[in-house]
Formats: sequence, C-alpha cells, structure tokens
Amino acid sequence: MSERNLTLSTGCKDGFPIFIGYFPTAMAFGLVVKNLGLRLWEAVLFSVTNFAGSGQFLAASLIGSGAFLAELFISVLLINLRYTFMGAEVARRLEDGITGMKRALIAHGTTDEVFSISLMNPGRLPASYMAGLELTSYAGWVSGTALGFLVGLVLPPALQLAVGVTIYAMFSSLLAQEFRKKGIKVLLIAAISAGTHSVLTLLLGVKIGWSFVVSMLLASFIGSLIIREDV
Amino acid sequence: MKTFVVPILVSALATFIPRVIPYWVSFLDKLPPLLSRMLRLLPIAAFGPLIFPGVFLDYVPHLYSGFAGISAAFILAYFKGGMILPILSSIVVTYLALLLGA
Repeated sequence: MSERNLTLSTGCKDGFPIFIGYFPTAMAFGLVVKNLGLRLWEAVLFSVTNFAGSGQFLAASLIGSGAFLAELFISVLLINLRYTFMGAEVARRLEDGITGMKRALIAHGTTDEVFSISLMNPGRLPASYMAGLELTSYAGWVSGTALGFLVGLVLPPALQLAVGVTIYAMFSSLLAQEFRKKGIKVLLIAAISAGTHSVLTLLLGVKIGWSFVVSMLLASFIGSLIIREDV
Repeated sequence: MKTFVVPILVSALATFIPRVIPYWVSFLDKLPPLLSRMLRLLPIAAFGPLIFPGVFLDYVPHLYSGFAGISAAFILAYFKGGMILPILSSIVVTYLALLLGA
C-alpha cells in the first residue's frame, strides 16, 4: 500500500474485507455454541469479550468436554500467545501519544487479520485508523455470531452437522496457507501435535485441555529444533 | 439453566493478557533464539490438535465425512488462497458425504 491519509474512514474501508471473511466463520461459531447449550446473549458475550477465532473455537470445545477452568485458561493462553508477537509489531508502529484506555482497546482488537492489514501501511498508525479497522472487523465477528446462533434454531440437523465442519475447515485452510508459504515442515509440526493429541486423548485417556497443551509444546519444541530460520 | 459466563470470561482473560502485554512491555527481543522460535511455532502446532481427532469423532458413525470436507478446504486454500471458498466447499462436501453415508 502506498502512503495515504490514514483516517477512521480508511480504517473502515480496509476492515471491510475482514468483515466479509469473519462473518461466515463467526456464524459457524454461533452455531457451535448454540449446540453446546449457550444462550444467545452468552454467545454474543463470548465474541464481544474474546474476539479471537481459534481461541474461541478451542474454548468452546473445551467447555463442551467439561474441562477444568485451569485447562481452559492455559490452553487458550497458549494458542493466543501469537498475539504477543503481533502486538509487539503493531505497538512499535503506533503514533506517539496513544495511551491508557485507547491502547488497551487497540490491543483487544489485534487479531491476525488486523495485524496483517495494518502493517501493510508504510507509516505510523493513528488511533482513528486502528479504530475504524478494528471496529469493522469486530462488527463482522459479533454480528456473525448472533446470526449463526439464530440460523441454528431453524437449520435441519443434517445440515447443522455439515456446517459444523466449518471450524475444522478454517484451521485446515490456515494450515494450507502456512504450508504454501513455509513448506513441508509446517505439515510435519502439525502432524506431530495431531498424533500426540490423538494418542494422549484416545489411548491414554488424558483430559483434552492438558493433552492439547502438551502436544502443542512438544510439537513446537521439535519444530524449533528442526527449523533454524525464522518463520 | 446452566450458565457459561465464568468459562467465557476466563477465556477472555486468557486472550486479553497475551494481547495487551506487548503494548506496555517489550521483552521479546531479549528471549533466547530457541525459545523465541518455539513461541512463534505455537500457532502452527495448534492446528494439529484443533483438527484431529475431532474431525473424525464429531461425525461418528460417518467417520470420513468431515475429513472429506476439510480435504476439499485444504486443497482449495492451497491453490486458490482465501478462506471463504474453502470453507463453503467443505460444508458442501461434508453434506454430500453425509448423504452418501461416508
């Protein structure tokens, strides 16, 4: 992107493709948590307070399996650790003088997509631009959740089961994109964690949250030994 | 009726903490390289257990319906990129596989 005047409205414009991308995924989330027994306002509260794709789907499946709160906390924290790296980049690029509450709100809106789009701009990032970008994405995520929940009330069960594949499809598409960018090692790391998780939960009866944590740490540790360059 | 507010807020906290930290402290440059690489690989390592074995177990007794769907998504995402088309195609493929009893 070339140098442009970054305002609330350019932020909204840049956020629009994110809105479109989030909407169906959020609908799937609304559908999933409806089937877990959440009420509409709880589904919306989930998306309003979390605003994180993979983290929310993971939390939902852990809640569904009756995980302890400590398992939930640590698993969700680990999967969201990537935001620490993304936030570090965005924070470095913010205009001076953005403090306190504004900073906290910008942090809350730092998703994978907001991170990529905002950093395509060459210069410093004003708070108004970040507000436009993040609020548009947020609107897609929250409204999609509500609509998905409502659609779940009328969708026939067979179709609901098919729509449930959306979560897995989202992760599998993300994995395919990482694979294309970074090569076969990506698939190897995912295979190690998938295999470990399957063995721990299915054969050894380890609780799903802890098994998730152990498989993630093991696979990324092995990955960090075999991948030397930065990914 | 059971309420889910507590786990929802625990999950929110586990999301907000890693997000907000870098806006106040910068420590990432000081980590040992091995640890820093490991942390960066966590999201990739997360994909495995997020997909398996759930994508099979959710569809018992039609064990392969979900897997057929995500395979379609994987292939489309690899060659075409994006998320919307792969996700929609996975719904269609899974639905057809369920109808065929896969």
